[in-house]
This record gives sequence, C-alpha cells and structure tokens, in this order.
Amino acid sequence: MSVSLEYGKLKRTGFYPAFVGGGLLAAAIPIANTALRQDVFTSVKESPFVVLMDANWQMMAMLNVFMIVIGACIVYHIEYADNALQKMEALPAKGESMFFSKCFVLAAASVFMIALETAALAFCVRCWFSPPEDFAAQLFSSMGFATALSVPAVILMMGISSACRNMWISLGIGVIGIFATVVIPPGSLILSMFPFTLPFQTFSGAGEGEAGELLLGALVEMAVFCAAELVYLRIRRNVQ
Amino acid sequence: MNMIETNKLTKTYGDFKAVAGINLHVRKGSVYGFLGPNGAGKSTTMKMFLGLTKQSKGTFTIDGKSYPQDRQAILREIGSFIEAPAFYGNLSGEENLHIIRKILSLPKSSVDDALELVGLTEHRKRLARKYSLGMKQRLGLAGALIGKPPILILDEPTNGLDPVGIHEIRTLIRNLPKQFDCTVLVSSHLLPEVELMADDVGIINHGRLLFEGSLADLKQDAVQKGYSHEHLEDTFLAMIDEDNQQRGRRR
Amino acid sequence: MNLLTMVDIERRKIHRSKIIWILMIPIVILWIPMIINADVNFNMQAEGILPEDNFLVQGFLGLSWFMFPASLVIGTVLLNQTERSGNGILKMLSLPISPAKLCMAKFIVLLLLAAVQMIAMVVCYYLSAAAASSLEDYSFTLGPSDVLGLAGSVYLASIPMAAVFWMIAVCIRTPVFSVGIGLATIVPSVLVMNTKVWFAYPMCYAFRVVTGQMHKLAAHMGDFPCDLLPWIPAAVIITLVCLAVSCNQLGKAERRG
Repeated sequence: MSVSLEYGKLKRTGFYPAFVGGGLLAAAIPIANTALRQDVFTSVKESPFVVLMDANWQMMAMLNVFMIVIGACIVYHIEYADNALQKMEALPAKGESMFFSKCFVLAAASVFMIALETAALAFCVRCWFSPPEDFAAQLFSSMGFATALSVPAVILMMGISSACRNMWISLGIGVIGIFATVVIPPGSLILSMFPFTLPFQTFSGAGEGEAGELLLGALVEMAVFCAAELVYLRIRRNVQ
Repeated sequence: MNMIETNKLTKTYGDFKAVAGINLHVRKGSVYGFLGPNGAGKSTTMKMFLGLTKQSKGTFTIDGKSYPQDRQAILREIGSFIEAPAFYGNLSGEENLHIIRKILSLPKSSVDDALELVGLTEHRKRLARKYSLGMKQRLGLAGALIGKPPILILDEPTNGLDPVGIHEIRTLIRNLPKQFDCTVLVSSHLLPEVELMADDVGIINHGRLLFEGSLADLKQDAVQKGYSHEHLEDTFLAMIDEDNQQRGRRR
Repeated sequence: MNLLTMVDIERRKIHRSKIIWILMIPIVILWIPMIINADVNFNMQAEGILPEDNFLVQGFLGLSWFMFPASLVIGTVLLNQTERSGNGILKMLSLPISPAKLCMAKFIVLLLLAAVQMIAMVVCYYLSAAAASSLEDYSFTLGPSDVLGLAGSVYLASIPMAAVFWMIAVCIRTPVFSVGIGLATIVPSVLVMNTKVWFAYPMCYAFRVVTGQMHKLAAHMGDFPCDLLPWIPAAVIITLVCLAVSCNQLGKAERRG
C-alpha cells in the first residue's frame, strides 16, 4: 500500500516520462550502433550477445546510473520542496517504510529501463545475427545480473538524497560517484565493487566465478546501506 | 480528565531554553488556547507532542500514552497543523489529502468531508503549488481535520486568512468539540482570537508558562494583580511586559 | 545597478552552499589514481608521447570528458534552486533590475565556479606531478606555459557549453528534465567529437581541445586539428543565441502566473 502511495506522489514531476525517455534512449544505442556498423559486428566470431554487450553496455549502463541518480534526487526533492516531509513525520507512518517504498519505486523504474534495453538487444540479435540456441538464457541471465547489480546504487543514492534537503547536493554527490567509476582503473575486483561501478559490469565479462563474487558483494552492500539508513533515520529522529 | 498533560517539559538548543519546564493541562473535550508572542515556544511545544522534535527534559502524556514508546498510537489520534503549510506542490489538493487518508487508513469519503469542512471543494483539482496562501492554509487544516481525530493540535491556524476565512475557521474550531467530540489545542499570538474560541488559556513567554486556567480565572487574576480586565488584550500585554521586565532584572 | 554589483550579489546568494566541496572532491579523486599509476606513463612508446606530457594530458582528458561538463550542470541546478526555493525569484523580479541583467549575472557566477574548479585542477596537477616525480624518480612537472595554456584553452572552449546548459536550466523548469537532458548530452560527446560536424556540438569542444593537444604531443598518433574555422564563429553564434534565449526566458513563468 505504501508503495502505491509513493508511486502517486511522483505524479507530474517528470519522473516516469524521464525513465521512459531514458530507457528508449538507452535502447536506441545498440540498435543505432549495430545498424551503422553491421559488418564490423557480424564478422566477429564470439556470441552475438557478448559482442553487443561489449560494444554498447558501457554507454547504456551510464544512462542507467544517471537515471538512478536523478530519480533518487527527485523522489526526496518533492518531500523537502514544500515541507511535506514534516507532515509525513506527524502521521502514524514509519519513516523506514517510506524509505523502502521509495527504493522499491526507483528500483522498479530502473528495472523497466533494463527491460527496454533487453528488448532492444533481443531485437538486434534477431535482425542482424543468427541467434544461438541458448540465446534466451544468455539474455535473461545477463540482464538479471545487471538488475541485481544496480540495486546497491539505488539504495545508496536514495539514502544520500534522504539526507540532503537541497537537491543539488545529492545530485553533486551522485555525479561525483559516477565520475569516480570513470576514473577508477578497470581490472580490480575490489574497485569494481564500488556501488556506482557495479552496474557497469557484464555477466559475460565477469566470468562464472567473479560473477558470483560480484553478486555477493552487491548483496553485502545492500544490507550495509539498508542498515546505515535505519541507523540514520533513528539518529535523525533523536536529534531533531 | 486531562487529554494532554506535561510534566516539567523542557527543550534546550545549546544554552538557549526554548521551553523551560512547563506543566500544561488540557482537559478532554475542551478548546485550549495556547497564547504567547512570536518565538515564545508555542510551536516547539507542539512539535514535541508530535514527535517532530525530542524534549530535552521532562515528560508528557497524550490520552494516557507517552512518547516515544507509543509514538504510532499517539500520532494515530492526533490531527495536526504545524507552522507553514506542508504539502506536495506537484499534487492537487485532493491528491494531497488522499495520501494522508491512505496512511491513516480512513474511508474514501473522508477526503470529501475534509475538503467540504474547510471550503476547498471547488478547488480540489488544482495543484497545491498554485494555491493562494489562504488556500494552502485551508489545505493544511483539512489535513489535520481529516478523519475527525480525537485530538487536534493547530499552530496558528488562522495565519494568512482573510477576515471572512478567520471567522469561518474560528467558528469551526469553537464547534469541533461538540460536533466531533474532540479536544483541541490551538496556538495564537492574538488574545482576542483565543477569547473567542477557547475554554482554557495557557500563556507562555520566553519558554515559561505565566498563566494557566479558564478565561474567567484569567479575568480574576487580572483584577487581583491590578491589570486592566476590561480588555483581556491589555491584561495579556501587561503580563508579558512584566515578565520581560523581570527577566531584564534577573539578568 | 551595474553588472559587477549584480554578480557580487549572486555570488553572495550561494554563500554556505558547500558547492566548493562538490567542485574540489572530483579533482582529488581524479589525480589520486593518476599518481598511483604514474608508471603507466612510461609505456607510451607506441603513441610516442613523453611521460610528463602524457601525465598532464590524461588528467585533463579525465576532467574535460565528464566531470567539467557535469559540474556545470550541477552549478546550474544550484543557481536555480536557491532562487526558486523560498520564491526568491519573485522578490528579485519585483526589484528595479532587468531580468536580462539578472540572468547574465547568474551566468557569470556559473563561469566563476568553473574557473574555481579549473584553478583547483592546475594546483592539484602541480601537487600530483610533484608526488609522482618523487615516486617514480622522474620529473613529471611541466612549465607553467604548457599547463596554463591547456587549462586556459579547455576553459575557454567550455564557455559555449556552459551557455547551452544555462539555457536548458532556465527554459526547462522541471528539474528532472533539465538535469537529465544536461547530463544525457554529455554521454554522446565522445561519438560526436569524431564526426565532421563536431563544431555544432558545444558539449564536445573541451574534450576535443584536449584530444587535439594529445595528438600534437604524440609523435605517432597523427593529426587531430581543431580548425578555428568554422569552429570559432559557430561557437560564438551558439553562445550568443543560448544567452539571448535564457535572458529572455528567465522569470517568464513567474511573471505569467
């Protein structure tokens, strides 16, 4: 019920159209890229899906993380802008459940984006490649992997924006986080565990063993960020 | 029986005492006027009742329950309106109330009732951001009155309303205990206003409670101390003035 | 009231906004891995670029492709939010000043913020070059003319981009969209930079300037010139159009409704 409330609060903020737009833009990347450079792509020996991910995922993931950052900023901006949060705190509802419902809405929106991207990738393979037998399995495991690895960023960003009354501060922190992923040299497993870097990892690029470690890392991060938010909410209630 | 009772309730910010050990007694089914100049500690006290800020010392009970153990239960009984109106600017007045209604799990009709009560029915589809100051104030009041809670905490509810609106809201508050069987704690910095609405009065200045009792008691008190009792406004001003002078001497 | 006083007022409005931290932190994040991985600069024989040149250029590549444009977007959000929260814009519009001047003053503050970040970049470059030099026992430090020349040209090349972002922020009042469009235009700048019409896309100017510098310094990387024609006229026209539109639009919505 709480989730549907949070969903309703985001009306007319541009949140939903932005995710649709962002998703369509991200989905257009592999289609445009393959259409323009058909010969280069189809001549490679590797599985078509791996080729597509290698060529496009960095930019698509960048858009996904951008949308997570912007989405999180907006979700709490509406609470602070006209002081609505104070009214919410004076109602018999838990701040915690509001936070997790908001996280759920943002996570669902980014799953929607990833679903659009999945459809685009499937379209590319059908149009320009000859799909291998296990293609569907590859596609879904890979996109499921991408979804799971975006959740830590969702929770972390939501925590940051719940703490910042001014939207531009949470935006600034988020953008710096994304920037750090650009600067962090690739290759190190520990550094790729950075929450904003996780969504850039691909299932095929990670390999079986590393994929498991990344998933485990993501799980640990989720737990840590949730716990940190719970502590933060408790402290905030007590020092006000 | 007292609906709200405080025991040496204190709130300090650093070395500044916003509320200094006050003992309030709000009778069940009464309208209690909480009176004091700007910055006297009225809003801070009310915020403590709602758990929006934590007391530094002292305790309070609301309908026999205490904070923070019974936070949820307390908030379920209170309809509140604190300071500047708080709302979602991107949602219409109706949608704002819908959110509050859902959280309080009230029936659908309660939104219409609340809108009707504050006279916002014809503007219910308009975005709250585009409301006039008076309409925002009414929306805030609707958010407090929705579901007819047994306790109402209203912080300067007539701020920003026009004379007609002020009259309407005062009459509404005056009749609330009879209509809905509720207790009202309403703050104001205008004594004539409190005089028109309240059964009991509490006067606060610089965080200290100067007087508590019925309006009749206040008049009697004024006579004893030699204040003017013709106009209660003068009594109030004299009381505050004397307190301020004493504070000056204490320093 | 003259423009300078207005700029000073606008600068005061962002007092205590902590924007300086948001500008500084990425610079530090940028240089730390550069110092740690300083030895990579010795393996650039294929490109034929000197280690010290590579150290400088890589740092500026990192800044100009993403963080510098993104900082400008954040700056526009800051300038707009301080005005719109608390309805300060209404007060400003009711004072005897022209909205166009107000808009220009804000734009200049945006450029000042960018200048602060660029200066921090240069300072951090010298600190990191010194640190890398002592780590690798090789002098990475370049003369001020090389460093300031690059920093200055990147800064100047970013002004049209700042004007575009400012126009987006003024015209699109829904924050999600103004920020989203601003950030989204940064992503394809790498692709557009390599096309023939790069001069029509201000978001890639700064990156193109640094890349051009890299090609100039590297012996085996070929030419990647930044021809001043038609670039400079295009940049000037884009800047002027964007500023004209934003000066015209600032406060329009408030005055209408």
